[in-house]
Amino acid sequence: MVRAILLDGGDNVVTLIDPGTQGDEVTLGGQPLANVRLVGDIPFGHKLATRPIAQGERILKYGKVIGQATAAILAGDHVHVHNVEALRARGDLKEAA
Amino acid sequence: MSATFLGYRRGNAVGIRNMVAVISVMDNCNPVTRAVADAVQGTVYLPGSFIRGQLGRDRAITLKVTAGLCLNPNIAAVVAIGLEPRTTRELVELLSASGKPVEWVDIQEAGGTINSIAKGTRAAARLVRHVSKQRREEFPLSSLVLGLECGGSDTTSGLASNPSIGVVSDKVVGAGGTAIITETSEFFGAEHLFAERAASTEVRKKFISEIETLEKEIIALGIDLRGSNPTPDNIRGGLTTIEEKALGAMAKAGKSELVGVLGYGDVPERSGLHFMSGPAPAVESITGLAAGGCQLCLFSTGVGNPIGHQVATVIKISGNRNTIEGMSDNVDFDVSSILEKDESIASAGSRLFEYVLSVASGELTTSEVLDTRESAISRFGPSM
Repeated sequence: MVRAILLDGGDNVVTLIDPGTQGDEVTLGGQPLANVRLVGDIPFGHKLATRPIAQGERILKYGKVIGQATAAILAGDHVHVHNVEALRARGDLKEAA
Repeated sequence: MSATFLGYRRGNAVGIRNMVAVISVMDNCNPVTRAVADAVQGTVYLPGSFIRGQLGRDRAITLKVTAGLCLNPNIAAVVAIGLEPRTTRELVELLSASGKPVEWVDIQEAGGTINSIAKGTRAAARLVRHVSKQRREEFPLSSLVLGLECGGSDTTSGLASNPSIGVVSDKVVGAGGTAIITETSEFFGAEHLFAERAASTEVRKKFISEIETLEKEIIALGIDLRGSNPTPDNIRGGLTTIEEKALGAMAKAGKSELVGVLGYGDVPERSGLHFMSGPAPAVESITGLAAGGCQLCLFSTGVGNPIGHQVATVIKISGNRNTIEGMSDNVDFDVSSILEKDESIASAGSRLFEYVLSVASGELTTSEVLDTRESAISRFGPSM
């Protein structure tokens, strides 16, 4: 069991406040999060998906958009720079825009 | 009873420290400045950042910020170390209205390094003995100007330390004091929420324009901000994007109304919550806040950042239990109980507020006792 924090009811990610190991169940305020087990190991302070997220879907934390999925993400997957990109201050996208 | 602290009267402002600044007019004076400050207890060493060869707006900013550091109410008196008299006089004239004791040495006129160090040391020693006569007096919270800063952020910053700072900022602003949040790029993705708190359309437009101008500059240069912000240690701490970092960073400003937008190093003209345009890295950011008159910076850290500033006292606040244990030398205040023991933000913020009053009244912080302090003025253009 590892503890996590959900900041807004509409979010599709939670933040771990314990280091997580593959297969761990997740608790929010003492209550287990249904149907979510860690797909792999996740460090302290990192995020996991609470439901499946499609490629191109917005990532929501604090009830706000923090980026966009660059790959399909499973419930319980680590959500970080390997599968999420920022949408702001992206001068590298200037040609495409 | 409303809260008060013990500070030093400086004209219409109040200092929380009583130091003599030994400051370089330009960077080529730094070795003499450092030797003078090393020789005299009660001084702080303030290195110069360029000036010589700088042009137009850039030179004006450097000179203004150099003067702003001297005018900060934590500084009781100034020894300026210059190379030649003309530029030194420019700085000294900016300080004259303050009524602070100011002495200066010009290396070309004093006859080289050794004579300059001797002359500067005598001046600094005389001024420290003089200012040490001053005693602390009781002042209301309205005399405080807080800087709101973060560095070495991680996801605990947005969950614990930043909102705790927000509680203190609201208390100080609510009592008629001032708080300044800065780090322009760290609003990307949160600026629309912060803009809603602007006191007027004019303030809202000015704030949004600062954010948009910087983002346009980055895009025009073809730069992907992801290469530098979030930083590698932010990413290791779990922060994925600048938007996520910004939404957490904004919590430092609590819930108060935004009443003003300042340029880098500008002094607010009224009390209340302000935004100062400026870069995100801590050293140059806090230097801008100190020049803006902040006596105290509340500095939130997640994965850990040791740096303080010579002029504005810095309080390091963390909610990350690993950092509090692993970098305890550099953490002043622990709010990890928000995550570990379900302490409310309001409760942690109230504890922090009491600590802030104690530091304002003289309790020393980690960066003061270890002298992990640095000062640098941002440059915006080339030198010639």
